[in-house]
Amino acid sequence: MSALLQVSGLEVAYGPVRAVRGVDLEVHQGEIRAILGANGAGKSSIIRAIMGLVKPRGGTVAFGGQALHKLLPHKVNEWGIAWVPEGRQVFSTLTVEENLLIGAFSRRHGQATDARQQQVMDMFPTLRERRTQLAGSLSGGEQQMLAIGRALMSNPRLLLMDEPSLGLAPKVVRSLFDLAQEIRARGISILMAEQNARQALRVADYAYLLEVGEIRGGGSAREMEASETIRRVYLGG
Amino acid sequence: MEQFVQQLVNGIMAGSTYAVVALGFGLVFSVMRVVNLAHPEIFMIGAYAAFVVISGLHVPDAGLDVPAAVALFLGVLFVAMLTTGAAGLVLERLVIRPTRGTYILTPFIATAGVSIALQNSAQRLFGPDPVHVPSVIPPNTFIVGGVRVTSMQLVTFLTAVAIMLALRYYVHSTRWGRATRAVAEKPDVAAACGVNVNLVSQLTVGIASIMAGAAGVALGLLYTSAAPFMGLLYGLKSFICMLVAGNRHIEAIMAVGLLLGVVEAMVTGYISSNLRDAVAFALLLAVLFFRPQGLFGSYEV
Repeated sequence: MSALLQVSGLEVAYGPVRAVRGVDLEVHQGEIRAILGANGAGKSSIIRAIMGLVKPRGGTVAFGGQALHKLLPHKVNEWGIAWVPEGRQVFSTLTVEENLLIGAFSRRHGQATDARQQQVMDMFPTLRERRTQLAGSLSGGEQQMLAIGRALMSNPRLLLMDEPSLGLAPKVVRSLFDLAQEIRARGISILMAEQNARQALRVADYAYLLEVGEIRGGGSAREMEASETIRRVYLGG
Repeated sequence: MEQFVQQLVNGIMAGSTYAVVALGFGLVFSVMRVVNLAHPEIFMIGAYAAFVVISGLHVPDAGLDVPAAVALFLGVLFVAMLTTGAAGLVLERLVIRPTRGTYILTPFIATAGVSIALQNSAQRLFGPDPVHVPSVIPPNTFIVGGVRVTSMQLVTFLTAVAIMLALRYYVHSTRWGRATRAVAEKPDVAAACGVNVNLVSQLTVGIASIMAGAAGVALGLLYTSAAPFMGLLYGLKSFICMLVAGNRHIEAIMAVGLLLGVVEAMVTGYISSNLRDAVAFALLLAVLFFRPQGLFGSYEV
């Protein structure tokens, strides 16, 4: 079965700095795949390159057979990929409802969008409560829910999550990863960049290890959990 | 007391056009982080467009009855807005988009160049002296409760209010207006949500230009003249309004525009008309000193 997302030989550089060096990775339909690595390893750059926010210096990104690496972000979104940025990045001057509506911008506004909005608010009742509040007034955990809900509004086939657990309280982090499983259960694939290896491996099907821009290893979640390197460096023994 | 109210009314009337031009500046700046220095010249194009249409139709000076006058006014407005809107779109595509980026001075300098080119073109086409724009609206003066308001002042004010209400509606209640606010705050995230940022930029410059054109028509008719350099002082004051208000809320820019008009009127009425133009700069200095992010806050630049 061919992969939903296929990244080959990805090169991302910022001036003279090569942040991503020849990365190959893929995500299959219905999977959660994680990119594990320390701060500055290049995880975000990979996510941004897939989304079209940064132009890769080399390599290709294919999604359902469609080449994405030359497209602008709004086109990538139209093709079915949505982004949950690092640090939430909700539109703080827009209301919760307006944030969700922007998430659906690529889809014509109509009954489908309204239905989708209800679905998302069913998933996150707090958002329904705070519908008319400015997004900037929400707590960190609530903003994370909003960021995810906003991404889901475009009916994506693939969700890119960049460091979703960053800055969140431990209890919230746990429920966040449970949520990822729920999203997978609805048929949406996820590629997540995460520093929190323990939680990521709990829910992922497959994980890659990224160090200084290169993939140093990959395997099923169980394999990765069992590996010596991972245990020592990322799981604290 | 009567004089106070009179000056207040005069000030609000004048300030409403400052507000419209300032909104154009503010819109483009907050959405694109670009200072469009050619914006006042677009305003000037609006005034000249009114001149061309009205003198081209050989309309006698204030010789029309009210319904015909209103129809002509709206027609002139429409043509001018079309012209300036188109000019804005061309400006965006040819000058702003290629120079937009991380360095804020590049589009600043590029649009400054365009502004000089436009001023000199107007001088070439129409001569360096102000041209007479026949006043279309019959020159009635209404006296309400001791306050005099001319019909042209009223028309200018109502036009400005209509434009500001339309803009507010667009920004707050439409899909593209929402997208515009999102792009103003976080363009990358907006793009990833499916918003075509280039299109929003074009729309924004187009709207700002249409607004400037309308203000140009109103002012050209109010002072019955259009001149190549009319954009300079007016544009500068409007720009100051934008700086003073901050670029976060469009209502703030509207309020500061009106405020400037009122304070100028007060200074003219109670102190001296020579000091009128100094008001804007004094206000700017005060704000830069005490609250540089603008009275009502700004997005990061």
